[in-house]
Amino acid sequence: MHETANNRYPVLPFILIGLGVLCLAFGSYFGLFVAPPERYMGEVQRIMYVHVPTAWNALLAITFAFVCAIVFLFNGNFKWDARLEAGIEVGVLLAFLLCVQGAIWAKPTWGVWWDWDPRLTTTAVLLFAFLGILALRKFVEDPVKRGIWSAVATIIAYVDVPIVYFSVRWWNSLHQLQSSPATVSSQFYIPLRVNAFGILFLMTGFIMLRARLASLRHVNEIAPPPMMAEEAGELA
Amino acid sequence: MSGVVQGGMEFVWAAYGITFGALAIYGVTLITRLREQSSRNTSERSGQ
Amino acid sequence: MIAALRKEMLLQWRTRAQFLAVFVFGATSLLLFSFAVGPNAEDLRKFSAGFLWLGLLLSSTLTLSESFHAEMENRALEGLLLLPADPRVLYYGKAIANWLQLTFLGIALVPVMVVLYDAGTTRIPMLILVVALGAAGLSAPGTLYAAMTAQVKSKQTLLPLLLFPLIVPALLASVKSTSLLILGDPMGSLGSWLSLLGAFDAIYWALCGLLYGRVVEE
Repeated sequence: MHETANNRYPVLPFILIGLGVLCLAFGSYFGLFVAPPERYMGEVQRIMYVHVPTAWNALLAITFAFVCAIVFLFNGNFKWDARLEAGIEVGVLLAFLLCVQGAIWAKPTWGVWWDWDPRLTTTAVLLFAFLGILALRKFVEDPVKRGIWSAVATIIAYVDVPIVYFSVRWWNSLHQLQSSPATVSSQFYIPLRVNAFGILFLMTGFIMLRARLASLRHVNEIAPPPMMAEEAGELA
Repeated sequence: MSGVVQGGMEFVWAAYGITFGALAIYGVTLITRLREQSSRNTSERSGQ
Repeated sequence: MIAALRKEMLLQWRTRAQFLAVFVFGATSLLLFSFAVGPNAEDLRKFSAGFLWLGLLLSSTLTLSESFHAEMENRALEGLLLLPADPRVLYYGKAIANWLQLTFLGIALVPVMVVLYDAGTTRIPMLILVVALGAAGLSAPGTLYAAMTAQVKSKQTLLPLLLFPLIVPALLASVKSTSLLILGDPMGSLGSWLSLLGAFDAIYWALCGLLYGRVVEE
């Protein structure tokens, strides 16, 4: 029993998740209590220590999904389809958190929840684009079609991200020019980097587990249903 | 300085709380889903 | 290529009643948008370009999701794929037909906008160019996604879900160019918006044509 349990639950993702939690605990403690408040932003600056790492990792997860999409289109191996699904789902989660954090950051800073900052708006567009792909995956029953279509949609949506960013920046710059938060000095680097690695480890662990789940589902999908297998056995 | 943002710790707590709360919930659901799926897979295969 | 396009145009000519219905739908939505703002002529004029493009966008989901209707009946798509023709040719035939249809629809909606919102412009050829470029931005990814979602049960939901976030840059550029034409262009930024739109079109017409073969293959 224990052996199969070990087989089913690989150790590496859990080590990564544990490492991520440790990093996040240390980084956030440092960011919340040790690092001094920023000159202009005051205490609100501390949101950056979780916001910026989330942003980097969200982009990384989506990029990972894009790479998986390309590899899957070339070799058709369903391992990559599972990884694509995992990358998109974790990326969507991080993009959602990014939007929430962005709104929480904008409220005390500019007095509104949503300020049409190009990065925030691009994240929202990206979130909806990839939510659409997850929805597409839910509706297509044929695994081959589902894999190819979602890979194609992922490539198309990923190519869109920089175009959205530049168009929104252009569109918004006509209304207001916005300065980004003051550059981060050395005291602020520690929590930022530690948290970035924390979320990176956590995300990698999640993606590995999620890809495993997708693989298991795929195996279940293509396996003949037990009834048919039984009949085949009787016939034999 | 007039431009300094005063206070706002509640926003900071909200941001950290939502982020880590959501990540924790996602992790838990992920493990439950994985456990369910793998038991379903083994039960269906043993059903042969 | 020409044959594929002719087939599409013939199909569209046969379903011209549908085009009329979609036009009425678009005009109705333009009428409804004005209720969201109120009868202030100044405000309506300011938002007219946005309303025109939103109306066209909503209508486009109807025409696009119907554009594979004929192929889905009698499994004609598979028959077409058996022909010794590159699937890309079929894609471009379909996409050009959709593009023409959306362009005509957009041009047909302009007078409605002029009457309802008092938003006219004297630069008619320029406006037609903007409509054509914007419609091209909608139809390239729209045709590809329609090919996918036509084979799925809830296509009416999925197509806008996939398409709307994607065409944000094209929508932004089209709305901006149109409103610059209507409200005047003091900064002379029309050219740069048009080139953004053109770049979007070029990228997606190339990319979607490239990927279409994979979408329809069996």
